[in-house]
Formats: sequence, C-alpha cells, structure tokens
Amino acid sequence: MSNRRSRQSSSAPRISDDQIIDLVTKLRQILPEIGQRRRSDKVSASKVLQETCNYIRNLNKEVDNLSERLAQLLESVGEDSPEAAVIRSLLM
Amino acid sequence: MQPTSSMKEEFLQKWQMGLQIYRPLIDNTSVSERMKAIKLSADVAMASLRRGTTCWSRALIQKTATEDNFLVRQMLSGIKAETLINKKLPKVMCHRKIVRRSKKILRRRKSRSAIEEVAAKARKLVNKKTQGLRNVVPGGEFMSNDVLLIQETLDYIVSLQTQVNVMRSIVDAAEAGSER
Repeated sequence: MSNRRSRQSSSAPRISDDQIIDLVTKLRQILPEIGQRRRSDKVSASKVLQETCNYIRNLNKEVDNLSERLAQLLESVGEDSPEAAVIRSLLM
Repeated sequence: MQPTSSMKEEFLQKWQMGLQIYRPLIDNTSVSERMKAIKLSADVAMASLRRGTTCWSRALIQKTATEDNFLVRQMLSGIKAETLINKKLPKVMCHRKIVRRSKKILRRRKSRSAIEEVAAKARKLVNKKTQGLRNVVPGGEFMSNDVLLIQETLDYIVSLQTQVNVMRSIVDAAEAGSER
C-alpha cells in the first residue's frame, strides 16, 4: 500500500463536471429547494454539497428525536394499560 | 430514487426484531438507555438492508458493533454477521500530510492567471465541501475516490429517508394511540 502513496494523491478521481450534474439531478429529486437554483453547475456545486451535508445531518437529528420520543412513550405508559398494548403490537 | 415500500417493510421488520432483543431490558432501564437501544436497532436495521454491498452500511454496522456487539450479532445472524463485523476496513487512502506538502511545493512553482485563480478557488471550495460530506457519511474517511463517495452518499440518503419515514409513522401512531 505504501508505494501507492505518490500515485494515489494525483490519480484519485476528483468529481468531474458530469458527475456534479448527475448529482444535482439526483439531489433535485430528493431536495426540492435545489431545483430553484441557477443552472450554473460549477458555481452551485459547493452549494449542492453543502445542502447535502445539511440534509444528512438533519435526517440524523430527526432519527435521534424520534428515538427519544419513542423511549419516553414506552416510559410513560403503564405496564397493563391499553396504550402499552397498542405500542407493543406496533413494535414488538 | 425514493424509499420503496419493500424497503420500508424490510426496515420495519428488522427494526422490530432488534427491539424484541431489547424487550426484556426495556422495562427496567432509563429513558436514555432505551433511546440508545431504539436508535442502535434502527441503524442496524437500516444498514442491513444493503446486505454488505455498500461501504457506508458496512462502516455503520462496524460502528454499532463497537457500541453493542451482542445486538449486532443477533440482528445479523444469518446474513454473514461475522464477516461484516470483523471485516477490516481499508486503511486511510490519502495521507494528508504528504498531500499537503506536495501541494505546497506545486503552488510555489506555478504562477497563475486570474482565470486559473478563480477556477482553483472554486475547485478548492468543492473539495472542502466534499470533505464535509466525508464527515457525515459513515465510512466516508475511507472513500478517497470522490465518485464512490457520491454514489455512497446518494444510497445513504435514500436509506436514511426510509428509516425516518418508518420511524415517524410508528412514533406518530404510538403517540396518537396513547393520547387520553
């Protein structure tokens, strides 16, 4: 591996313009806001990447939030209550 | 690409299975421990949808295994669990110090026109944002290939959407069901 080092840094494929266009197209389907931007792909490439990062972070935050809500739900329902039965049937 | 209903179904099944494993513990633990259990099961469920075919899913499984080895093994039993957990991730491909040093040398030699400067700045910004992406995608630090990084990112996003989608439906339904 070590003798590939010098080759690696110069030949590691960088994102080409085509790939950015491809990514923008795909992200447009996922993130509706991006569709409104100007078509200049080089300029908006960094914006697309930034939006993607933000979107991923937000999704992760939402998962944390949902996990917490569920954990609290399980805490607050009594063992034998009808609510507990509902939750257990949904989840377990 | 969108989360398909078969993805959502499979996620739900696997997540339920993970929660079942925790079932005996759930009644006797704190909220924060429960939250962690719920999240870990959800992550393993999401990652296992890919059956080891993507870098991010393998990295996520490995990461979860360091937090709860038992859970991961249980959830993945039957899908070559051992290989996924023990599989060695490739060494970091890009040795940053060396790249930085060689870039410094190159910079001193070249003199640039204004247009080249602008292009270089744009390129620099894209690289910076790409690096940001590496920080949020599991296993990103091992993807020196930008093309791979983009592919993995797109797949990871669709999987996250599946995860959020299903979890949201369940939690909303459970909260509605427990309203007095």
